[in-house]
Order: sequence, then C-alpha cells, then structure tokens
Amino acid sequence: MPEHPAPSDDTPAIVLDGVSKAFGSHVVLDKVSLTVRKESIMVMLGPSGTGKSVLLRCLVGLLRPDAGRVLVFGEDVARLDPERPADRKHLFRIRRRFGMLFQDGALFDDMTVGENVAFPMRMHTDLSGKEIKARVADKLARVGLPTAAGKFPSELSGGMRKRVAFARAIALEPDIVLCDEPSSGLDPVMAATLDELILELHQTLGMTFVVITHDTAEAAKIADTIGLLSKGQLVTYGPREQVLGSDHPALRQFFERSTEGPIQVV
Amino acid sequence: MSFFWFIRHALAAQFTKIPPFDQFVRHMVDAGVGSLGLLTLLIFFAGLSLAVQGYAAFVRFGGQEFLGLFCGIGGIRELYPIMAAIICGARIGANLAASLANMQISEQVEALEVMGIDPMRYLVAPRLWAVTLAMPLLCAYADVVGLASSYLAAVHQLGVNPGNFVAQLKGIVGLSDLLAGVFKGVAFGWLVAIVACYHGYRSAKRDGAEGVGIATNRAIVHSAVLCIVLNMILSAILYA
Repeated sequence: MPEHPAPSDDTPAIVLDGVSKAFGSHVVLDKVSLTVRKESIMVMLGPSGTGKSVLLRCLVGLLRPDAGRVLVFGEDVARLDPERPADRKHLFRIRRRFGMLFQDGALFDDMTVGENVAFPMRMHTDLSGKEIKARVADKLARVGLPTAAGKFPSELSGGMRKRVAFARAIALEPDIVLCDEPSSGLDPVMAATLDELILELHQTLGMTFVVITHDTAEAAKIADTIGLLSKGQLVTYGPREQVLGSDHPALRQFFERSTEGPIQVV
Repeated sequence: MSFFWFIRHALAAQFTKIPPFDQFVRHMVDAGVGSLGLLTLLIFFAGLSLAVQGYAAFVRFGGQEFLGLFCGIGGIRELYPIMAAIICGARIGANLAASLANMQISEQVEALEVMGIDPMRYLVAPRLWAVTLAMPLLCAYADVVGLASSYLAAVHQLGVNPGNFVAQLKGIVGLSDLLAGVFKGVAFGWLVAIVACYHGYRSAKRDGAEGVGIATNRAIVHSAVLCIVLNMILSAILYA
C-alpha cells in the first residue's frame, strides 16, 4: 500500500472553508464550509444539479474552486496548480489517499473486471501478481461479484459495473473514499448490501467516506454526518441525529419527498 | 485546451519518462500490424497505376525504359510515404481519437487522475511513441509493395525489360531516399498521433456520443491535411 505521512490524530480528514465555484455566471458552490472528521461517514444530500458532484471534484483537485480552501488532512488542495509540475506531483500524491466511485463507474473499457480492480494496485504497489490476484478476488467477493473477474465492463449491467467500480475504489484501502451516487442503478437489496459494505469498511479499516446521494434512507442508515446542499449553498450540516430531527423546511421536504417547499424543480 | 498547450504537455510526457510498455506494445501492434492489410491492398493498386500512367507518358517519345526511374522517384520519394501516412493515419487516427474521446466522455480519464496517474503519461505518451515508430516501418513497407506492383505491371503487362527497370531504379533510388522516407514516416507518425490524441483528449463528458464522432472526424481530416502540407515542406527541404 502507498505510504503517507500520518496526520496528527485531531486533524480532520477534510475541511472546506468558504469554497465557491462558478461556471460563467452560474454559481454552483457558494461559500461552502464544512468539516469531515477522520474515520466518519459524511453523506451529502441535495437535488440534482446543485453542485454535489462539483463538490467531490473540488475535494480531489479535479476542479479548482474560485475561492476558499480545501484541506485534505491539513493540506490545501485548492492552492495546488495542476499546471505547475511540482504542484501536480504533490496533487497526485494527495490523490493516492482517495478512492473514488464515479456515478457511472468510469471503468476502463479495454480491461477486464479483474484488471480494473487490480489496476491501482499494479500502478502504486509492489505486490506480486499472485497477491494482487488474491486481493482482487477478495474485493470482488465483497461486492458480490466473485465470478466476474474475467468479464469486460460491456458485459455487465449498470449495477454490476457500479459494484466493480466500488471494488476498484477500495482496492488500495484508501484513507478517504468518495462515492458519487453509490446506490443509483442498484436494486434495493444490492443498495443495502453496498451500504453494509461501506459500514463494514468504515468500522474495520477506519476509512472515511464522503457519499453524495439522493437516497434519504441510505443517508439515515450509514451517515455519521449529514449535509444538504441546495442551489450551491449548504442548507444544513451536522450529526445524523441532529439533522434527522431538524425541522428545517428544505430538509423536511427532501426527506418527505414533497414537491411543496423551498426546493423547487425548475 | 489549446493545441499548443497539448503539444507542450504531450512532449513533456513523451520525453521525461519511459511510457508504460504494455500500452506501447498494444498500440504499436494495433497501428502497425493492424494497418498492413489495408495498406497492402491500396499501395498495390497505386503501384500498378503509377507504372501504367508512367508508361503511357514515356511511350510517346520512346522513353519506356525510364519507367523504373519514374516509379522510383514518384513512388519512393513522394507517393508511397504520403499514401501510407494518409491511409494509416486515417485508420490509426480514428482509433486513437475515438478511444480517447470515449475515455473522456465516460470519465475514465478523470478516474486515472483521481488514482494519481498522469493521463498524459499513461494514455498519450505510449500512443505517440507507438505511432511515431510504426509509421516509418509502414512507409518502408509501402515502398516495397508499391515497387513490387509497379515492377509486375511494367515487366509482365507492359513488356518493359526487367533488367532495365531494376537498373533505372537502382540508379535513381539511393540510401538517402530510403532514409528520407524513414524521416518522413517519423514526422507523419508523430503528427498523426498528436492530432488524433488532441482531438480525442479535448472531448468532454458534456459532448456525449456525438463528441466521439466529431473528434474522430476532425482527427482524420486535420491529420490528412497537415500530412500533405508537411510532405510538401519536407520534399522541398530534402530534394529541392
């Protein structure tokens, strides 16, 4: 596994401090500030198109915010300019602490399922082929696809692709796993299985999860901390019990699946 | 993303680190071996046409014995390298642009970035090396096929003396011509690869499936136009 400097125990995994991002005149994130504790599960809820995926991309430096700081274990990712070779190298080093489950999987088409899951290990570790194979088998078994290693992504259903992508995201057992809509496209049983897997990895390996979802049941089940992003602003953010008990109108509308409330469908 | 930004980063990726060997071999085989069938077929007929047209022109003043000279100059110096560049460039460029555009649209390039792997080094550099090295070999192969088919047409169809044909050919085509062909091939290969990679790489998720088609189309058209212009410049430098 890649080695990283150990942060001090009280360093949060992620801190967003006044993060803003706009595309032209369209403000996608408006001064978002939050803290994700180490070894916690943070679930960010919000309607479509409110900047949740942009938020994830800012965390790993795929997008640079226009303003604000993005601290990952105390290091400001937003300050790093990918155009500068030294910064880019540093950014890549920080990114190795992340695993990311993309909304549509983003599996490599020209590789088999097994090769996809093995890929981060092959690129970043000195593990032998035999060890990698054993770890791939373990990860695929965890996501309920023990016999899929030889198949190509094009042979899988959308839900299966997502599970393979999750197996790839956790292949290096990273410090932080970012999940963009992990349960979309999955049947309820498989979605629940994935939730259980997130909880298990969180408990056994101490991984920090940042989960973007529409699924309020998933949020209530796995989250330590819940946030609601609407129109680029963090409407509410706090411990699960506090947020679930809140009578914030946007939050209630979201949990009650209501069309009446401050969140408007355009 | 401008073309010059892309060239700067691609060159840095190409020359600062050895590219992933498995990727290089895969693209080398695809570009080289994968192009052989199409190239053989088209160059074979081009070689026949060159001999027939040359003969038709030379026979008017009894100069048909110079057909070997004509096929050597016209074929090896000009026709076969540029044909190889355009034929293989279209095929290889389309593959490169479509595969990279598809990877951009389906977030596979972003996935590499998040894994801490530089896509320029992992995706672009091995493709550039593979096509840059495959193209001169394809140009040399096109020379052989073209000359063979010209010889067949000249000797067996048009009745040109075989000894004369070969002597004329040897007299005009030297090692410098073959090296110039290799040089042209390297230049064409790099140009085709950089243009195709650029159009594929600059696609984005929002472009959707249509973006793959647009990238492919631009890669083929732009690389063909640039190869023809570059061929003219190189010929002027090498033979003027």
